Amino acid sequence: MAGGPDVDLLEDLLTLEHRLLSAYEDALRGDVIEPGLGELLRDQEAAHVQALLRTLRGRGSRSPQASVPAHELTAALREPAAFATYALKIERQAVAAYRGAVARISDSSLRQALGSILACEAAHEVALRDSLGERLVVD
Amino acid sequence: MAPFVTRREALGGAAAALVLASCGGDPPPSNGPRPGSGAALLGSLLALERAVEAAYGTCEEVLSGPALREARAIRDQERAHATRLENLIRRLGDDPPPGRSPAEYARTFPRLRSPEDALRFAEQLEERQVRAYLEALAELPDLALRGAAAEIAADEGMHLGAVRVLQRLPVAQGPFVTGAL
Repeated sequence: MAGGPDVDLLEDLLTLEHRLLSAYEDALRGDVIEPGLGELLRDQEAAHVQALLRTLRGRGSRSPQASVPAHELTAALREPAAFATYALKIERQAVAAYRGAVARISDSSLRQALGSILACEAAHEVALRDSLGERLVVD
Repeated sequence: MAPFVTRREALGGAAAALVLASCGGDPPPSNGPRPGSGAALLGSLLALERAVEAAYGTCEEVLSGPALREARAIRDQERAHATRLENLIRRLGDDPPPGRSPAEYARTFPRLRSPEDALRFAEQLEERQVRAYLEALAELPDLALRGAAAEIAADEGMHLGAVRVLQRLPVAQGPFVTGAL
């Protein structure tokens, strides 16, 4: 057995982070995100991926890689607003996943660090709403 | 020569003073819940939420337009967080600590001369709130309490991002808001 429930939670988060990273990389290549914002979000997701990989390696995990890009992403890469809407959706999913994981993870030393990523992903949502001309703060 | 203190540093110092004031003056929890239940920690978070809610009221006096609209939305959410914390404390068998009067809170706030001052002050407050909730996540003993803290921490991360965007700063200063894996 690799590492128990904490490892399962971390692997799920890593899968989501890979998905976010791929999305921003593709959006930058496809010129459907403002470069400054796209690079910021891509670089921060890359840092999250690296941090989760380091943590998982120390726990004997197989470290899952990115899944096949979703058809939804391919469609979203056609124009900036569609991409921002798609990215906002997967950032929301990431925030929900981190909220659950941060509460459930048994290693208390990991909770604070994962919470710092949770806060960062919540801020990413703000940037994407701003790019869509929406209100920054929502319920 | 007198040491030079930037306006940002002065506002940061004021935010720190506000945090200390919010935590130092309220009465200790009553004798209801068992030690280690998390009630005392929730009481500290509640004191901070109330102080920050009051601080946004002061910020609103110098804000206008979209920044004022967002500040009001944040203030409403801080109030909702405070109510949620009060309910959690009651569920643990304790009485929430009483808050302070607006005048008492106002004494701890810096003088905000401009929208820029208000947004910088708000940023410092949100950073401190995020940090407080992340520290609580490491310490709260119960899954449901940690779930509530995580939800509020996400809101505070959103608020921090919003006040940074309103200052035309990058939405997040780094990939880890207050720490790293």
